[in-house]
Amino acid sequence: MFRPIKVFFLSALSLLIGMKVTIKNLFSPPVTLDYPNKKQPMKKNFRGMVDLKPPACVICYQCIKICPTAALFLSHKTVEQDAKKKNEITKFTFNAELCCFCGLCEEVCPTDAIYLNQMYEVSVFSHDDLLSIDLMDPKKYKHLDDRTVNQPEPNPQ
Amino acid sequence: MEQVEQNKSPELRSEELVVNMGPQHPSTHGVLYLELRLDGEIVVDCRPHLGYLHRSIEKIAENRTYIQFVPFTDRLDYLASMNNNLGYVLAVEKLLGLPVNERVQYIRTIIVELNRVGSHLVSIGTFAQDLGAYATPLFYCFRDREKIVELFDELCGSRLTYNYMRIGGVQNDLPPGVDKIIKDFIQYERKKLDEYNELLTYNAIFLSRTKKVGILSKETAINYGVTGPCLRATGFKWDLRKEEPYLIYDRFKFDIPVGTMGDSWDRYKVRLEEIQESLKIIEQAIGAVPEGNPVAKVNKVYKPAAGEVYLRTENPRGELGFYIVSDGTTKPYRNKIRSPSFSNLSVLPELIRGLNVSDAVCVLGSIDIVMGEIDR
Amino acid sequence: MPGMGLLLLKGMAVLGFISTSAMFLIWWERKVSALIQNRMGPMATGWHGSLQSVADSIKLLLKENIVPAGADKLIWWLAPFFVVFPSVSAFVTIPFSEKLVPRDLNVGILFVTSITSVCVLGIFMAGWGSNNKYSLLGGMRSAAQIISYEVPLLLSIVLVVMQTGTLSMVEIVRAQAHGWFLLRPHLALAFVIYLISATAEVNRVPFDIPEAESELGAGYHTEYSGMKFAMFFVAEYTNLFIISAVAATLFLGGWQGPLLPPVVWFLLKAYGIIFLLMWVRWTLPRVRMDQMMAFAWKVLTPVSLANLLLSGWLMLR
Repeated sequence: MFRPIKVFFLSALSLLIGMKVTIKNLFSPPVTLDYPNKKQPMKKNFRGMVDLKPPACVICYQCIKICPTAALFLSHKTVEQDAKKKNEITKFTFNAELCCFCGLCEEVCPTDAIYLNQMYEVSVFSHDDLLSIDLMDPKKYKHLDDRTVNQPEPNPQ
Repeated sequence: MEQVEQNKSPELRSEELVVNMGPQHPSTHGVLYLELRLDGEIVVDCRPHLGYLHRSIEKIAENRTYIQFVPFTDRLDYLASMNNNLGYVLAVEKLLGLPVNERVQYIRTIIVELNRVGSHLVSIGTFAQDLGAYATPLFYCFRDREKIVELFDELCGSRLTYNYMRIGGVQNDLPPGVDKIIKDFIQYERKKLDEYNELLTYNAIFLSRTKKVGILSKETAINYGVTGPCLRATGFKWDLRKEEPYLIYDRFKFDIPVGTMGDSWDRYKVRLEEIQESLKIIEQAIGAVPEGNPVAKVNKVYKPAAGEVYLRTENPRGELGFYIVSDGTTKPYRNKIRSPSFSNLSVLPELIRGLNVSDAVCVLGSIDIVMGEIDR
Repeated sequence: MPGMGLLLLKGMAVLGFISTSAMFLIWWERKVSALIQNRMGPMATGWHGSLQSVADSIKLLLKENIVPAGADKLIWWLAPFFVVFPSVSAFVTIPFSEKLVPRDLNVGILFVTSITSVCVLGIFMAGWGSNNKYSLLGGMRSAAQIISYEVPLLLSIVLVVMQTGTLSMVEIVRAQAHGWFLLRPHLALAFVIYLISATAEVNRVPFDIPEAESELGAGYHTEYSGMKFAMFFVAEYTNLFIISAVAATLFLGGWQGPLLPPVVWFLLKAYGIIFLLMWVRWTLPRVRMDQMMAFAWKVLTPVSLANLLLSGWLMLR
């Protein structure tokens, strides 16, 4: 006879305890950011878009070999300069549609020429803008720049 | 089913209602498609249809070198990427006979257990969401998981697909001051687990929705190859971390939480308790990390001798196995992945037959599948 | 006809109040849920997103009206009106203050309860007309739910009517001049029963089974878009206001209170109850269909009947 009544009151109590938790959280500060107005700085080794410091590149093709999704393309030619043979990059492009942002190219690079910058707002209106990004062009991410918080700083590692 | 039989009189006929639940449905956890046959609201039969997220990862593995495949394992069980990384890397290391140093072992243990906590938090949150607790427990769980994700972000530069484990080591060393962050997190999370208990675990409505719903017996679970929390909820004490200790799990003291009935509530409770145990392991490991260099070089080409290896690890969702066959070249001849969610999902029709639609959603949520590793 | 102009004015005032109230409630619900979940909620339009509902309603007005293939067109078109119409009509007898009553009917409370039950017709029409299995399930659930919870709801209202001996809402408030009905134990029990069944009447958590987002998508209004969807939404929040207003009138002394003007007191009480319902909504999980029906017929109805019997005996003694 008394058990159902006891169960009923304990059940009601459990609901009230749950409501205590939510009212406590109602008065605690929010944990989210007011996103487009306030932005969180990216972590130091955040893996954003692939970027290149062209003078540092030694054309070793390591990044091309390691890339799991074949998102990078590199070609070079040999030119003679002051009677010395020298390799020169003819084309170095990056396909952001294929890239899986694993950061392996950054790790294999012997001269830290290729790195992943801190861009994370990389949406564009057309696929074509991402299919073949010319890494040699210093203004390659210009159309994304004004939406990026902190400018890419090469990773010291 | 008996009800359907009764209705089969010649003049009065009733039809089963076929409802296509998914691939776009709020609570099928991705792109699962369940073909439900309903008698009123009672599920008479259920057929899961798979393949909406198939990316042929196993075939991709045959065309990638051993190192290149690590980022693809992130995409299997995307809530527990670190655990997938670990399973694959351990398998390759076993194939190569490559030893790793102590610091690597400790770092891997800590990171993997943290990821287990994060994965279980998502599982608890989405389960509550499936039961109709409008997003509040989900947001609390994601709020707490955020701390783990932030730490991983600092550690490896990514928030979901970590690609952190390397053959013979890890990608980066632990950042300075990580001990304190993790210890603070453990303290914080223990407090929050009490909050979950108050909000959800012993809530009368939650109990009435989950208790004795979708009871999985020990025999059925073993027959279907169900592993992980779903198996342990049936009362069967089976955890690879204890049974076949890999990494350095044999050095830590922790319990294996088991359920009593194998119902939805038990599966939920086992996950909640596993978070506690994982926190215990992290607490023991974080104080004992030895010195050393854990970073592995990636530009090395691995050429294992012809042979095969099968290695299984305890993922948050169950037993993850990698079966790798090498033909002596730089790429594996075959890479078969045994994913826990696939076996766990296969038992679903057995569980929800005879329940109504609300309970079917509840059982599906309690099994906690991730479509990424079912379809591979 | 001079009376006609006044009636028109009153009607327009009611419609204006309904739409502003619904918009405010939608914004408020989003804000409360956000704060409970440690989020910020709408922040972009206006001060702390206060104009978000206005922006949303403009968006919904501009949206294309999609009729699903195979829908029962007539029923499908009429359903939203059947849902909105009763909730607007119910405003007729709500006493905002002693003077501010659109129309003080002598069967006021009976009118409110009977006209709000028409809602179920619209919901079932929406469920049937959409030609969608989820919508049909939602509509069927809704019909069963609303009809069963009507019983304890009415039984708890009957107690108030027994106490006051009148059906007019203004008279009921006047009868509470010397103390709210909430403070008397048998009426406090009736208040709790009323609140629970009213939550079920307006399909809110923990009784949001007809909508049941995680099971049925959105239940009966899955297929509706644009302005038709907005009408369902407005009806939902208007009903929410009506049940709170009725609760405030029947149990919390309506407009009566010291210092502040009567209208403010009335709105404070009504919105206080709405906040309570929101708080419940963002805390509790959903109950299952059979559990909910069992709760209505096995717990709420017997308890309210016993309460009625006991208080009737005490009154007659």
